[in-house]
Amino acid sequence: MNRKTLWIALACFILPALARAVWFYPGFSTRPRIATPDYQSLSIPTPPIKAEQADQKITVMGGVVVIDTLHGNQFKPTELDSLVQALNQRGGRVEFDNATPTLETRLKYASTYVIISPSTVYTSDEMRWIKAFVDNGGKLAVFTDATRGQVTFDFFTGSIIGLPDSNIVNPILAPFGIAVEADYLYNIAKNEGNFRNVFFDEFNKDELTFGLKQVAFYGTHSVKSDSGLTLFIGADQTLSSITDAGGGLSAGAVSENGNVLALGDFTFLTPPYNNVADNNTLIANIADFMLGGTRKPALTNFPYVFNGSDVSILPTSEVQVTAEIVGALSRLQASLKTVNVELKVVEEKPDEGDLLVLGTFVPSEDLAQFSDPFNLTIEEDSEYITVPGFGNIGRSGNGLLLFQTGRKGNTIILLADTVDDLTILLDTLSSGNLTGCVLQGNIGMCSIGVGGSFSDGSDTTGTPSSEETPSGEATPTPTGAG
Amino acid sequence: MNNQLTWEHPPKWLLWIVLPLVVGLLIASSVIPQPIVGVIHLNDAIYAQTASDLIKQINYAMDHPEVRAVVLSFDSPGGTVVDTEAVYMELERLRVKKPVVTAINGMAASGAYYLSVGTDYIYAKPTSLVGNVGVIGYLPPTPLVFEDIISTGPYKLWGAPRDSDMRQIDMIKQAFYEAVRLGRGERLKAGPETILRGQIWLGTEALRLGLIDEIGTENDAVRKAAQMTHIWHYKTADLYGLAGLQAPVYSFFMQSPEGVTLPYPKESGMYLLYIPPLPVEK
Repeated sequence: MNRKTLWIALACFILPALARAVWFYPGFSTRPRIATPDYQSLSIPTPPIKAEQADQKITVMGGVVVIDTLHGNQFKPTELDSLVQALNQRGGRVEFDNATPTLETRLKYASTYVIISPSTVYTSDEMRWIKAFVDNGGKLAVFTDATRGQVTFDFFTGSIIGLPDSNIVNPILAPFGIAVEADYLYNIAKNEGNFRNVFFDEFNKDELTFGLKQVAFYGTHSVKSDSGLTLFIGADQTLSSITDAGGGLSAGAVSENGNVLALGDFTFLTPPYNNVADNNTLIANIADFMLGGTRKPALTNFPYVFNGSDVSILPTSEVQVTAEIVGALSRLQASLKTVNVELKVVEEKPDEGDLLVLGTFVPSEDLAQFSDPFNLTIEEDSEYITVPGFGNIGRSGNGLLLFQTGRKGNTIILLADTVDDLTILLDTLSSGNLTGCVLQGNIGMCSIGVGGSFSDGSDTTGTPSSEETPSGEATPTPTGAG
Repeated sequence: MNNQLTWEHPPKWLLWIVLPLVVGLLIASSVIPQPIVGVIHLNDAIYAQTASDLIKQINYAMDHPEVRAVVLSFDSPGGTVVDTEAVYMELERLRVKKPVVTAINGMAASGAYYLSVGTDYIYAKPTSLVGNVGVIGYLPPTPLVFEDIISTGPYKLWGAPRDSDMRQIDMIKQAFYEAVRLGRGERLKAGPETILRGQIWLGTEALRLGLIDEIGTENDAVRKAAQMTHIWHYKTADLYGLAGLQAPVYSFFMQSPEGVTLPYPKESGMYLLYIPPLPVEK
């Protein structure tokens, strides 16, 4: 065995490995650097919390805010704590609308009617009452919420049935030129902890946006208004879920007359989100909106037409305070007590305060000071009197209600042909509503019998029916602005 | 007659050639094994059991040098956050050593796409479903106290405040997006405003957005993996069997009383999961 043989043997030994290596592994690979997320550097997004401003100027305005609970409204009363607190600070009072008294009655004295994320439809009557309420200067605040629509899942068919609250409120808002979309707004680029929590940094000028630099809404519908004013202007990256398009989308609007507010979100009112950004300032502005109405008291709102809790009764010189009149006044007193109004008889017109004037169709100087503004034509020898808007009406069997608002108080003048008719007219008032009268503006004409001596004997006296009787708690009447 | 060639008396030179050759062959086959492209299939959601199986297969690939590259073959809607992260991190350890290529069959959504971006190359079929980057969480109820249940803190029963849960979910989303951004690098042609919409795309659209690298099949992925590790004449092997695993018995998804499997997870929690939309009637 020589060296050559050894080399051959070694080569033969290595050759299979070399061949195999070349056969299977013709080249070398190097691995690139692998980049992975630095989990430790990630942080939880925190909200821009703002403490409530202690030096905020609060004006006490008073008023009653009625909150709807009769339409499957998707909220808990405790979620309203921040708003209720703001309203209370301004002298306002919150009532939750339950079955009695009716919505129609509540709207007679409410400053604002609030609808929050309803799930059942409003009747045509309810919508008519709400529209009339707003037309008369009442405020309507509608809160919808994209996260509170009703969704049901059917395991059998595998389908989801969605009913957004916007579908319910749009028929109510339509007469005021406002529409809530059945979408939600989102912003991937800049948001408050989640894509559906959007910031608004740009605002149209309005009392509701006063002092706002940034608000955050949590799952909000977009709100549009052609005739009114959109309040918040979304960033270009704030998009609608329906179109995935953005640019100027809003989450709130007020109607042209400024009496209707519609917001696409409700969650921003609830803790802890009420403390984020300027949400508390917005809530304060909403409270100001709700109590700062210029609603004019009207006869249709009787008995909620007085400014204060004391009303003076002033019989004119032609009215003899008979036992029947006293009886009717006592019944009226009992009736008005249920709405916290006290009656007192006076001999002279007081300098200020609410007044109930009793008179007949006999012209007199002391009556003239009250009736002249209404341009009535009353002639002693005529069977008719002329009432603007009504024409000639018979003296007998008719009573007139004249309503006058004033800075120092509101006045109702009751006129009838005789003291007996006046008694019946007073009892009509005692019934708690004026549904038996024809009301036109500030004048009401009531049928109180035939020929001045007719009475059908029906009981029009006493306290209002339970349906019309508000709860026993204090019920302030709306502030007269006239 | 000493030089006569017989079986009984082979020439010495032959002995010095054949014997080393045979021994060399025997040793070479064990020292230099035929390379394997290991295939790991995921045709289920990602949850504790499937994640454990995936990790065992990844470990097998790590521990066996003949497994030169791995192909992940996905048809998965994703799954739980923590299980997805567990697999992702093990996958990154493997990827430091060996190339990993993804083949998306039916779907690599949410958590499954999270895993896909942790690989070197992604194939999908033209109509595979890809993406759905984002997180789903079920917020806990508002804390309550009960007369008969005593706990030692307001969130002992509920886990976390609702608001805090929402923000944690956003942090998980950030991590997911970082994984996509880093994993895809310059190949990613869409920005966060597109990716984070949570949309699920067809393979062709995913290619346009840079969410995948190429339209192709599992075989393409195997060839790509072999090419990336520079091997020829390789064989493919399903690592499930090699790792000695058995089919899971647990079902991740909810079932209707009639036994129909629904696309919802059985338990509440945080998920990197695609839930196919059901028809909505308005």
